[in-house]
Order: sequence, then structure tokens, then C-alpha cells
Amino acid sequence: MRHLLIVEDSPSVRGFIRSAAEEPDSGLGDVEIAEAASGFDALRLLPRGRFDVVITDVNMPDVNGLELVSFMRRSEAHRLTPIMVISTQSASRDRERIMALGANCYLVKPFTKQQLLAELLGLIGVGRDEAHG
Amino acid sequence: MVEVSEKAREDFFSEAQEIIEVLSRNLLTIDELQRHGSSDPSLINEAFRSVHTLKGLSSLFGAPTMGGLAHHLEDVLDDLRLGRVDFDNTVLDLLFRAVELFTKVLAIEKAGGVQPTAAVDELIDQIRRMGATPGPSADDQVNYELDPGILSVLTEYEEHRLRSNIEGGLRLFKLRVRFELATIDRALEEIKEQARKLGEIITYLPTGESGGIETIELDLLMASGHDLGTLVGALGGDNVIIEEVPRRRAGGVSVAPRPMARTAEHHPTGQAPDLVPFEATLAMPNEQLASLRSVSQTVRVDIRKLDHLMNIVGELAIVRGAIARMAERLHNDGHRQVGTELMRLHRNFDRRLEEMQDGIIEVRMVPLGQVFDRLARVVRQISHDVGKDIRLVITGAETEIDKLIVEELSDPLMHMIRNSIDHGIESASERDAVGKPLTGTIALNAFQKGNHVMLEVEDDGRGVDEKAVLERAVRLGKVSPDEVDQLTRAEILNLIFLPGVSTRDSVDDLSGRGVGMDIVKTNISKLGGVIDVHSEFGIGTKTTITLPITLAIVSALMFRVAGNTFAIPLASVSEAIAFDSAGVRQVDGRDVISLRGTTLPICRLDELLGIERSAPHPNRSFAVVASLGTRRLGLVVDQLLGQQDIVIKPLGKLLRDVRGFAGATELGDQHVGMVLDAASLIDEVLVSSDIGLRSGKAGHG
Amino acid sequence: MADLVHLERHRIARRENAGRGPVREFLAIGLGGQQYGVELTGIREILSLPPLTPVPRAPRHVLGVCSVRGQLVTVIDLRRRLRLSDDSPPRRARVLLTELDSDIVGLFVDEVRQVMRLSESEIEPAAAAMGGEVSDHVIGIARPQGQVVVLINLSTIVPR
Repeated sequence: MRHLLIVEDSPSVRGFIRSAAEEPDSGLGDVEIAEAASGFDALRLLPRGRFDVVITDVNMPDVNGLELVSFMRRSEAHRLTPIMVISTQSASRDRERIMALGANCYLVKPFTKQQLLAELLGLIGVGRDEAHG
Repeated sequence: MVEVSEKAREDFFSEAQEIIEVLSRNLLTIDELQRHGSSDPSLINEAFRSVHTLKGLSSLFGAPTMGGLAHHLEDVLDDLRLGRVDFDNTVLDLLFRAVELFTKVLAIEKAGGVQPTAAVDELIDQIRRMGATPGPSADDQVNYELDPGILSVLTEYEEHRLRSNIEGGLRLFKLRVRFELATIDRALEEIKEQARKLGEIITYLPTGESGGIETIELDLLMASGHDLGTLVGALGGDNVIIEEVPRRRAGGVSVAPRPMARTAEHHPTGQAPDLVPFEATLAMPNEQLASLRSVSQTVRVDIRKLDHLMNIVGELAIVRGAIARMAERLHNDGHRQVGTELMRLHRNFDRRLEEMQDGIIEVRMVPLGQVFDRLARVVRQISHDVGKDIRLVITGAETEIDKLIVEELSDPLMHMIRNSIDHGIESASERDAVGKPLTGTIALNAFQKGNHVMLEVEDDGRGVDEKAVLERAVRLGKVSPDEVDQLTRAEILNLIFLPGVSTRDSVDDLSGRGVGMDIVKTNISKLGGVIDVHSEFGIGTKTTITLPITLAIVSALMFRVAGNTFAIPLASVSEAIAFDSAGVRQVDGRDVISLRGTTLPICRLDELLGIERSAPHPNRSFAVVASLGTRRLGLVVDQLLGQQDIVIKPLGKLLRDVRGFAGATELGDQHVGMVLDAASLIDEVLVSSDIGLRSGKAGHG
Repeated sequence: MADLVHLERHRIARRENAGRGPVREFLAIGLGGQQYGVELTGIREILSLPPLTPVPRAPRHVLGVCSVRGQLVTVIDLRRRLRLSDDSPPRRARVLLTELDSDIVGLFVDEVRQVMRLSESEIEPAAAAMGGEVSDHVIGIARPQGQVVVLINLSTIVPR
């Protein structure tokens, strides 16, 4: 059972990611997905348990994606949790900035379900190894 | 369209719809503020975010036309929020046009038709021309003692707001606040409310320290013109620590404010950029903002699911009736104890059922503001098109009404407002000549009154010309010449609801470009409402619409005619009577009976509806007296069945031309009964030539 | 209350007919003593006759309205629509549910026979001399196992 957290203020995009992850032949196996509509909601859900991957948008009001990534990397519980960032900015400066804060993967909108799943599968493998490494 | 599930598509459409509505409301507020000479940067940012989200969604879900439009709109809004372009009327007009186009494009995307790419390209062209000339990139050092860690997590917009505030000479503060996760939403709202009055919150940073799993600590970065003391006084508390972020002294870059790049027309060089001291911001936009934010607290529900729930409640109501009857039977059959017990349970059930019904009705309610916002845009557009200066005053936008009614209201209201603008409000010169203010006013007012919602549309235009209306009605044969003197003012005004009297197919100057009020009236009565008009020639016109709060469940009187069960909403029934066929007389070719000294026209329902009957009419009959205003009509039926709460379901498209029915209802056990539309039947049976009857003249025999 | 027997036969036929190229599936129905076919994709459900309430003043081809799981459905008589004779054994009559602009409409037929799988080559164009109300709605004619079946177009036959 894989636990995913999606942090994104647009319900359609959350739905899109969810439907991709829940597809029977996604390669992820059984998934349990939690959704947060804002950075605050994410802060509320993060202490609740372990997540195999956190997918977050960058541009959210109040607590934005950068702040969320920074927070997670400073917290004991989520220091190693794989983070996938989805963003509308394709500039390398933005990508560098957030990777420097500790994100594992940066996906630019628009992306297809296939691209999303490919990146996710890559990440979840990463998490496993770190725990054993 | 991209390969996504049906549900995902639906989500996309409804989110896009919502975003466009929010954007529209935003623009209206910005427009309003603009006229008063102020602005609120957070609103502009909201508008940018809306379009930005729309762009992202369009690309993700494969809607290129919308995506392209959003992309260019985003550019101009970005320029606006970063202060590179000024907000003025041309920009606003462009944005409003874009919203209109978005709505259209979305509808076409949903229906799968051909997109108006030419119109979109044209608008994009104009948008591109509006964009800012790229100015020097703002790479200034931010000379505050801010932890570079903070700077690294600010988005481009947050950075911009920070810089603007600094350049405006405001101070920077850091508020360290500890929240309980359980109550964080409310606590945040409170702090935001308070803080907004004193300055601008730039961003929220989780500190990473916390007292436990149920609390969280955030640093709020805030800019304010006040001093630390004031802030502590207003916002301080047990869980709040406030400190000022000091400026960097000697060795740092000069703090002289630099003017930002602007378009050529606006160039106050050497002056500080236009920043709004936040004290001057009107209270109104903040409330608007609160209502926009609360969208995320709501649950999006498909109205069909609510219809389904209502159906179930309706069926439970039928069961409840059966239980009551059974309890009574038990009681009478000698099982008194069981009967009484069952009766008690029934009463409990009844109470809970009513509560549930009320609860579901409440969920279906939406504020009228939804439709008012659309109208505000239309007013802006049309007044611009016809060259009249008109302002729309809206009150009661928060009044709530059933979602299905709201959907059906926008067309009739649109027609009425068009009439006011085209035909009611005079041109500026005419108004000047009679001493009216040059700006015409249309007022939209909504309020709840008992079980109804009242909607008033009022204008200060030229009013209805009764003479012209009368003339037209006579010419069309709706009123005979000798009745002309007998009509009261109210009756004359109501003539505009007859087909043809207020439409555009006339050469004379009565109707101008008006749209048929008969259509408006039909639409309103389909919703179970009534429409009324008052007018003073030269002063103005006021149209009042009375609507039931919900279409969902109504109390009805059930009866049988020629072997079929029918229902009629109790609201249209004044009484039910029994009478002898011997008492039926003829007046002006119509059957009437005497009812407490007055004459009541009657009509056999089976004849009116064309239902065949097998048995002859009994001697003793029943009549359901339907009433509409002052007009009454007795509908003769075979048997009265009593009262019942019913859920009226609309008849499908195939039956839309069938007159006289409000819909059909389930009768239990899969049977269906037709529901009468009293107003339409009365209109059909009693034409204006019955005016003679109402004056109470006894029959000529 | 879908007619499961017919759908089962349909599944069998499917296996038998694999490999004939693109096929269209039609539901064979009886109307006024003749056989007709309607495209299966347009049919959502097949019901036995529910209690029907007549709608006064409705056009003649509207038999009435009924309730299907809480939803109001208008039922039209395909025989009257096609101006065919309308006396039939009510025992085998059925109502076909189809969708029209998000309304559900019921089509009354004398009986439902089976599902036919027809490749394009098996559908003959309708002869011009078909006459009557029917010809406006005819897609073509098929002759499975020697029988003559007139294929009618659901989207035109349901009046809008």
C-alpha cells in the first residue's frame, strides 16, 4: 500500500493526478491518496503519518510550495520523504531554486498521465533505497 | 480533448466555470474601486491567479483555445500586478470582453462545437498591444535584515509585494504565531482580518518548531505603516510574538525609491510608485475577498444528487401518510394501544422528515448574487453599446433561492434589463431636458418575504406609456374598444404581458427594441412565480417578481378526474367546494355558479383537458377553486382526495408544448399523477372579455 | 429490469460472428406485425410495461409518462409515430429507454426479439419506393436468415 499526499489548490488537477495514480495498471499498486487543498491543509496532514511521496504545486496562496518543501526538509518526520513539485514555470532558475530547497523531482505543466506516472515510479523507488541505505 | 475520465472532464468544466465567475466578480469590484479612485493589489493578484490556474487547467485537459486566451491574459495581468502597466478603462474593458469570450469558449468546449478562433485571435491581438514594454528587471538588493532563507522561499509575486512595500517606506515585521491545528482556519481568518486593517501580509512561513503534533508555528511576514507598539496592541497575544525587521544600515544600497517601468502615457518620474496606503482601502473589497476565499470551505454537489435526495424524501412522505392511516385503522379496529404507539412513532417520524426536508432545501439554496454578477457585466456591456450612462445598484445579493430557479432566472432578468436599458432609460439629452440626472439608474433588489423571494427591477426611465399600450392592445384585438374605459390602470399595465403587445415587430415607437414580456411572464410562471408591473409615466418603471423559495416540495390538493389522479399546488387554491349541477347557470356563454353571493366561473376539467370519460357527470360535483390574483376559476372534478406534499418533476422536452401542467409527481407504487398549472389554466379559460363578469353582474340568463 | 435473456443471446452471437469486419449492432423489434431494427448503442435499458399515466393534450404519439426509479420518463408509441396499426399482444410489449438531450425517453414496442450484428455490407440502402411515414427514418434494410428487417434511425424518429 502506497501513501500519496497531493497538495494542490485546483480540484481538477487533484482529480487528474488521483485518477492517474489510481489506474489499475499504473504500476504503483494499491494506493491510498490524501488530498490537501492548501499549504495549511498539508501542514495539517503531514504529522499524521508517513507518506511515500508528496506531490505539491508551487504557486499556492499563503503557504506556497517552496515554503512547504523547506518546512518538510527541516522536519524530522519528512526529511527524507520524496517530494515531487508540479509547476507552471519552466525557467531553469525556478527549477534550481526548488531543487536547492530539497525537492526530488520537478514536473512542468502540462504533462500527460504517462509522464506523471513515470516520474512517480522513479521517485518511489528512491524512497525505498534511502531507508535501507 | 485529452484522454481523461468523464468525471475528470466534469470536474474541469465546473472548476473552470467557477474560476470564470470569481474572475468576473473580481473585475467588477476592481472596476467599482477604480471609479472611486482606489485599488486593491490583492484583488489584481487574485485575478492573475484565476487566469493562471485556468491556463494550467486548459493545457492539462487539452483545451487549446481557452489555454491560448488564458496565456495572453495572464501576461497582461502579470504586468498589471507587478505595476508595469496601469489599470484604466481600456484595460478593464478588454478584461471584461475576455471574460465574456471565456464563457463562450467554455460552453462550446463542453458541447463539443467549433471554437470562434477568429474572435479569440482578435482579442489576443488587442491584449498583446496592451502589454508593457519590458523594463529593467528589478534585481535590487532587498536591504532588510531578512534571513536569506526567507527570501529563497518567496514566490515572484511575494517578492514583488515585499519590494513594493519597502520602497513605499513601510516597515517590515515578523509575527511568530503558534496555532492549534484543529482551529487553525478560524484563528487564521481572525488574524488576517486584524492584520489587513493595519497592513499587508506578504507570506506565511512554517518555522518547523512546534509544541507537539497538534500545534504549528508560523512566521507571518507583514508590512505596515504603523509602529511596533501599535501592532502589538492590536495583534499581540499569548501565542503571538511580534518583532520588527530592522533595515540594513551603512554599507547597504541606498533606499531611495525607484520608479518602476510604465507605459509611455503614465510617467511620474522621480515619484514613488502609486502605492495604496492600506487604511484607505474600502471595507467592501475585503468582504468580497472573504466570500471568495470561503469557496474552498464548500462542498461541490451535483444538483441531480440533491434532486435524488428530494425524491426520496417525497417518497418517505407518502409512506408517512400511509403509516398515519394505518395507525388510525388499528386504533379503530380495537388495537388501541398499538394504534396509539404507532401514532406516536409517526409523529416523531413526521418531525424528523420535515427537518430533513428543510435541511436538503437549505443545501439547494444558492445566493442570487450568482446571477446578479452576470447581469452586472451585461449592463456594463449594453449601456456601452447603446451609448447611455447607466449604473446598476444591487441590494440583497445574498438572498438565497433554489439552485434550479436561479438557473432559469438569468434569461428573464436579462430581458427585463435590456428593456429598461433600450426602452426605459432615456438618452442623456432627453434626461437633461426633463431635469433627471444624466446617469440612469437601474436597481436590482432581492429579499425574502415568508415563503417567497421578491425580486424587484426598477429604473428611473420614461415609464410605460399607457395610452400607447392600450392602443396597441386594441389594434391587436386583445381588448375590445368598448372595454377600454372599464380597465383600471393596473389592468392596462398588465396588458404588456399579452403576446405581441410589447414585442419589436411594430413600426410605431412603442416597443423600440424590447423583448416580449409575455415570454418573460411564461418563464416566471414555469417557476411557480408571478410578475407584476408598476409604472409612472415620465418617472420610471418597477417590475416585481414573486418566486417560491424552492421548486422542490410543495403542498398540493389531490383529486380524481375521469379515473386519473391529479394534483394542484395548494398555493393556487382558495377553496374546494361541492355543488349541485342544478345550480349551474350560463353567463356570456360560460358556465357559472353562485358562491356566497358572487359569481364563480366553472369549467369541467375533463372537457378542458380533453379526457374521455366513461360515466356521465354526477349530480353532485366538486370544484377546486383555483385563484390567481383577483381571478377565480372553479375546476370541476370527480372526487377530492385530500392534501399531500409532493415533489413536482418537470415534464421532459418532448412535452414542452403541452399547456396547463406544472409537471408530474410520483403517487407511490410507481404511479404518476399530472400536476396542474393553475395560472396557465386560468389564463387560458378566462380571457379579458370576462372583465364584465368580475364586476359582479348577475347573469343575463 | 433489463431483458437478460436477449443480452445473453447477443453475447453468444458475438462469439460466433467474430472476424467479419466492423459491425453495427441492432436490436430487432416488432411493430405492427413487422420487424424493425434500432441501433443498440442508443438503447440504455429494456423494461417491461410500467404503469403509464396519460398526458392530456399531448401529441397523439405520446402514450404517457411513467416513473423509472424516481425519474420521470415520457413514453412514445413508435407504432403511432410510424403510422402503423396499433393493436398488439400487450403481453410481450416492452419499453426501450433511450436518451434525448439528457432527458430519458421511453419507446413503446410490441415486442423485442434479438440483437443482430450486421456488417456494413449486410445493410442494403432503402428503396426509394418505401412510402409512408417510415421512409423518412430508414437507415437501410437487412435480411438476416431470410427475414426482412427495416432499420430505423433512433435520432430522427424521436421527435425533438
